[in-house]
Amino acid sequence: MQILRKTDLEAFRKARELGPAGVISLLKEKGLSGRGGAAFPVWKKWEYTLNAQADEKFVLCNADEGEPGTFKDKFIIKNNPETLIEGILIAAQVIGATRAFIYLRGEYEHLRRGLERVIDSILKESKSEVEINIVVGAGAYVCGEETAIIKSIEGFRGQPYFKPPYPPVEGLWGKPTIVNNVETLANVPQAILFDDWIEDLRLFSLSGNVTKPGIYELTEGTNLSELIALGKPKNRIKAVYFGCFGGCMPYAAMELSPEKVCVKNCAIGSYSIIAVDEKQSILDVALSVAEFYAHESCGKCTPCREGTIRIWELLEKIKKKKATNDDIDTLKDLAEQIRETSLCGLGQTATTHVLTALAHFRNEFVKEA
Amino acid sequence: MMDEHDVLLLPLLRKAQKKHGYLSEESLKKISRKTGVPISRVYGVATFYSMLHTEKQGENVIEVCSSPSCCVNGSLDLVRFLEKELKVKTGKTTKDRKFSLCKTSCIGCCDHPPAMLLNGRPFTDLTKEKLRALLKKCGKKKRR
Repeated sequence: MQILRKTDLEAFRKARELGPAGVISLLKEKGLSGRGGAAFPVWKKWEYTLNAQADEKFVLCNADEGEPGTFKDKFIIKNNPETLIEGILIAAQVIGATRAFIYLRGEYEHLRRGLERVIDSILKESKSEVEINIVVGAGAYVCGEETAIIKSIEGFRGQPYFKPPYPPVEGLWGKPTIVNNVETLANVPQAILFDDWIEDLRLFSLSGNVTKPGIYELTEGTNLSELIALGKPKNRIKAVYFGCFGGCMPYAAMELSPEKVCVKNCAIGSYSIIAVDEKQSILDVALSVAEFYAHESCGKCTPCREGTIRIWELLEKIKKKKATNDDIDTLKDLAEQIRETSLCGLGQTATTHVLTALAHFRNEFVKEA
Repeated sequence: MMDEHDVLLLPLLRKAQKKHGYLSEESLKKISRKTGVPISRVYGVATFYSMLHTEKQGENVIEVCSSPSCCVNGSLDLVRFLEKELKVKTGKTTKDRKFSLCKTSCIGCCDHPPAMLLNGRPFTDLTKEKLRALLKKCGKKKRR
């Protein structure tokens, strides 16, 4: 696997020779894009942060991998933490930061000690003066959002705020901050060092009703049928979910690329695929996802705070066979309202699963209603 | 008073919880005094995160993943099984205070479902037999 190649601080040394501008232009040439879900070009984010005027700047590694069905960052932290830490050091060097943070989700606390050992040994070997702190989260999905993570580290409730300003201009404690995902930062040394590094390779997290779930490194645009075949499902696969936020669609042979998935009104995000077989009810999955959002809504904006609970209640009503056709219409209307009026990405995508499930599997809702 | 940049409130709360099992009013006040952060904000943060508790928990905390990857692999059946076995409702603590049972959002163990955290440590590929053995190991009293 490309992501498991060792870089042994060679990329760090090369980056030092290249200087900040050289690193940024190399990352631009290589085309490295963010792997947290938004695919924002890394060089751009770094250049904004480099050009922002401030007495202090920070690097923040987002290891708050909370999207259900996603475990690629955990895979990197367990199997190649050295390249991640090297990526953080390169980012710090480029923008001149002396302090970096890794926001590790609370559910991954068991990985902390191992990661700390790697940090210590790499700092010693690189003779870098950068201080890397691990801040362990405490169970809040919303803290994967870059402004919420900043609030959380600053010691507030982890609630997102309206952008702009974006973190490269005003981030941690109001200072310019690079916020990058684990997989992104782990790819930095790889992209800098290896001529044959391929930007198109993605880590797919495959889970659900397959007998071989796991992390598969495949090129973007790989056919869904190829991925599912690797997972060796026991029964016929009926639907796939792109995590919770990306929505669902009937299983069919198709290219897994942001554009092709978008056509289905879904979002590929962090390349998590949850396979659901014919023995499962889409309504039950919808209930599980709705419960997730009702629990994880941070409570700051009304559409998301109130709406996610009402969505869950309506689905419960359908499950109890007490719903009417009007309820199904209300469900759809409400889901659209929440999507259009919520403050952050959590609320805006919290109902994609309902809307796509109603579009593709309406009979499973109406039949039960 | 500590410098704003050095007050990492979340780690302080986690540390206090680890020591006492939960965050009592006294612990929160102590943290407020030490850091200069108003008690209202300390309480606000403590009640925001699902892994921080302002109420006493059982000796063992079981958190079963109820997100889709585990859910389609039978995790909710395991929750019902645990409710029956421990005679406790989800979200509550057993009378003998040995176990707290709750559901959790995805814990990133989707490649080994169903999964749960027991006192923060992940346990995967769960079955009823595995759970029975784990409960026993945690010192569950033998049922007659």
